[in-house]
Amino acid sequence: MIEFRDVSVTYRGGVRALRNVDLKIDDGEFVVIVGLSGAGKSTLLRAMNGLIPATGGSITVGGTEVVGAGRAELRDVRSRIGMIFQTFNLVHRTSVVNNVLMGRLAGVPAWRSTLGMWPAADREAAMLALERVGIVEKAYVRASNLSGGQQQRVGIARALAQEPSVMLADEPVAALDPVTSRQVMGDLQRINRDLGITTLVNLHYLDLAREFGRRLVGLREGEVVFDGDIDDVTDETFREVYGRAITDDDLKTAEG
Amino acid sequence: MAAALVVAYTVMAGRTVGFDLSTFWQVWSNPLWEKFWPVPWDWVLDRHNVLDPLVETFQIAIVATLIGCGLALPVAFAMSPLTAPNRVVLVVSRSIMNVVRAVPDLFWAKLLVTAVGIGAFAGSWALSVFSLAVMVKLFSETVDGADPRPLEAARAAGGRHMPVVRTGVLPTVLPEYVAYGLYVFELNIRASVVLGLVGAGGIGRVVEAQRQYFRFDRVLGVLVLVFVVVFVIEQVSVAVRKRLV
Repeated sequence: MIEFRDVSVTYRGGVRALRNVDLKIDDGEFVVIVGLSGAGKSTLLRAMNGLIPATGGSITVGGTEVVGAGRAELRDVRSRIGMIFQTFNLVHRTSVVNNVLMGRLAGVPAWRSTLGMWPAADREAAMLALERVGIVEKAYVRASNLSGGQQQRVGIARALAQEPSVMLADEPVAALDPVTSRQVMGDLQRINRDLGITTLVNLHYLDLAREFGRRLVGLREGEVVFDGDIDDVTDETFREVYGRAITDDDLKTAEG
Repeated sequence: MAAALVVAYTVMAGRTVGFDLSTFWQVWSNPLWEKFWPVPWDWVLDRHNVLDPLVETFQIAIVATLIGCGLALPVAFAMSPLTAPNRVVLVVSRSIMNVVRAVPDLFWAKLLVTAVGIGAFAGSWALSVFSLAVMVKLFSETVDGADPRPLEAARAAGGRHMPVVRTGVLPTVLPEYVAYGLYVFELNIRASVVLGLVGAGGIGRVVEAQRQYFRFDRVLGVLVLVFVVVFVIEQVSVAVRKRLV
């Protein structure tokens, strides 16, 4: 279970990215987070694995307190949380499998990963993760030679290689075309169902949110303004989150 | 206006150091120039006279490049805000490198000749320090400009600092590292010739000795040979570097 209690994030310079957020997410949930850019979606996800430290409140992930955690504790929490990114964040100048192996960093002795002497079991886990997203045949291709959709799948494989209990996806399809977006969202949904991994996805596009989400959290200026079942979402809800009515720009299909 | 000031200052500066066009003629009519010809190729191509010291120069450059560039890798990572393990390491490594860089390489050579005695050993050390300084300066800019996003991904996976930098940054900067290493090797070949002049071994010492005996014909022969070697090494290095980056 993930629990946010009265969480605030204030950046140096005084910008308040999150204000008194309370949130409870049960194991195995698939949660879509929507909001305008700057509403605090990215900050919310990054506060969970401590990439951005919360400045107030308490965040627990599977019983471990993240706020104020030491280095070792933070590494432990991070190893249980997989993360995928809008820009994929791959190392372009190395092979796909080397990228996926980064997901095994937490469990491998530092000298082994530093020298690139990955244990056979970890290599196997990396290949298994690639198999799960259906691109195992690209394992020894340079990451830069893949298409955007394939790169995001490598990103998902890297996160899966951690064998995580939580998956954070920060705008995972913002850089992809509508068809590929649906495939990648489908991958995430399948992983959530098959492996029971709690999944939180930041999305900008409302049609994708409706299609793939079960629970929707709406953020506006760092505050949670909606939290409920996706079926209860009305146009009024979106007006509250976005401060305006829906336009075609908010739909991924309309764009393509 | 600015141009006029530059010209006026140049004329004034020339007067101050006693420079005028007739000095050109004085330089060129000096009987010294006749001493450069003919080049005694028999002496120049003799193994003991020139080739052995030239090989020594080559070896000094190799050792210095390996030591200097080897040290530069962790130092450059320690000096970049992106990859430094913490603020203390960042500030300390930056301060040390500023001191190392502030001292000219010829002074390092003099210092090390005084410390460890005349010869190739002192030359290797002086050039190692020089390589470290040059390599860190060139390579840290690459590290500073590395893509921070894979680094974030490696951190998010729960890695320790060293493996995170190794897997998230090193592959993206490695081609530049090798290219700069080759460039530093070129610099070292040329610099080790100069260092010989202050007693740090290699072909520079031969040039200096023959100059002191006024055997300028031999000096010219050695310089031609050095030119050929430097030229060949540069061509090879440039060709390899082009493929890398």
